[in-house]
Amino acid sequence: MATNNNQINGSTVPPNQKFVLVALEPDQLAARKKKPIPRRPLRGYEKFALWSLRIYVIFMIAVVLYQVLSGAH
Amino acid sequence: MEKSVQEPLVSAQPAPKLNSGVVITHEDIDRAHDRERVLDARARGGMFSRLRLLWLLVGPGILVMLGENDGPSMLSYAATGSRYGVGFFIPFVVLTFFMALIVQEMTVRLASATHRGHAELIFDRFGPFWGWFSMVDLGIGNFLTLITEFIAIRAGLGFFGVPPWIAVLCALAVLFLALVTHRYWTWERITLAAALFNLVFVPVALLARPHWGSVAHAMTTWMPLPGGLTKETLLILLADIGATVTPWMLFFQQSATVDKGLTKGDVRFGRIDTTLGAALAATAAVATILATAPLFAQHMSAENFQAAEFAQALQPLIGRFGASLFALGIVEAGMVACITISTSSAYAFGEVAHRPHSLNLPLRQGKSFYLVLLLCAAAAAAIVLIPGLPLVYVVLVVNVIAVLAMPPALVFLFMLANDREIMGDLTSPRWVNVLATCVVLFLTLAGILFGVSVVAPNVFAFITGK
Repeated sequence: MATNNNQINGSTVPPNQKFVLVALEPDQLAARKKKPIPRRPLRGYEKFALWSLRIYVIFMIAVVLYQVLSGAH
Repeated sequence: MEKSVQEPLVSAQPAPKLNSGVVITHEDIDRAHDRERVLDARARGGMFSRLRLLWLLVGPGILVMLGENDGPSMLSYAATGSRYGVGFFIPFVVLTFFMALIVQEMTVRLASATHRGHAELIFDRFGPFWGWFSMVDLGIGNFLTLITEFIAIRAGLGFFGVPPWIAVLCALAVLFLALVTHRYWTWERITLAAALFNLVFVPVALLARPHWGSVAHAMTTWMPLPGGLTKETLLILLADIGATVTPWMLFFQQSATVDKGLTKGDVRFGRIDTTLGAALAATAAVATILATAPLFAQHMSAENFQAAEFAQALQPLIGRFGASLFALGIVEAGMVACITISTSSAYAFGEVAHRPHSLNLPLRQGKSFYLVLLLCAAAAAAIVLIPGLPLVYVVLVVNVIAVLAMPPALVFLFMLANDREIMGDLTSPRWVNVLATCVVLFLTLAGILFGVSVVAPNVFAFITGK
């Protein structure tokens, strides 16, 4: 019975590693963290915030490029 | 598919049964050992166990706050003290750390609720565009900041006559030694020990014999502000904000908290850790202003730091010992920031590229993680050794990028901390949102103002009338 329980996806959890499952929450396991969290459905004001960010990013890139180019001269 | 708002997407269910399809990795085993000690201390109860619990759970908050007291930041505080003396900037710097505390507390909750890093959450929740944007933004900012850290290390050790290449090699060796244990706990304790050396600025301040009455007056009245509100004052204000709240801090603390293994039950200790870090960092920052306040009449500029001239200028006032401590403080500030900033880049890369990313990984399993970390540091170190490189110009560009990059990072942080699907009952309460909104708006305005100051410097003179 114990042997069956230790079989996981073809690999085995050795008895001396069972403490891992007690000490960690399921989502803390590295294997579980590989599964991505679903994309967030955005509300109207959130879409507005992200579009504002896009505009800000253009402003930001322009400022940085200006700074780099003016400094280079 | 929309989930119920009561049910977090990242579950907080009890540990899975063995047949739940879980593969145990080396990283899990190391983290579980750390968590066992936490669970043991929590189960015991009593004063000693509470203190032990605190000892076990502090780390990321102190590291991030003292890490942000990096080479350029300490020199920015030094420039503030030498240019404005004891006055407005003492309470202002304390305020900036309070803002940093509000922002960083959100990363503790995000990490404890989701067990995911900041870059990973942005990538998953807002899509690859914003995920990669955050990664590239962070990567460029971090790399340029790393260059400035090596400049600080070089300058600080230069005070003792150490040649630049030896200074840079020593810094890389310390960075490597902290990693070779490939154990988060050991890395954290080594870096914490180094970070606490940031408080060396306190004895330096005491050697400068500050007038405590003036300090108390400044704290209560926010005065004096020599010269009033001028273009230069506004720029120093923005530089001090940039010295306290920067994007890498969000990414680092969240990833480090995940790597440490904090859970929802540990959030209170995460908050104490962050508050403690903010208090220690604010103390060191204020001490630096007090230490250089005697130079007020000499109007030292931050541009002079390449030759560790602050330490040299302080020598007649506080003696060789005090000046040496100041120079060592600059070295420490650069060193700790090198470790934390390069680690934040490696975490973020691993999270976005879906590669293993943990300081608990053995070198062989975490090749890409350690490679990114060491390559970033080594490349930055090599650049500092290029003869004739315009280092002051690099520092200026770093400041511009750091301040401008903050608003997007804050918007995502705010949205994630209010994302009930992933946060569950750790979603930001209303009063935190009010404070956070004020901080986000203030920092966004600061970012935009800084950008405007770069493109059209005369606008500041127009605003202030000076």
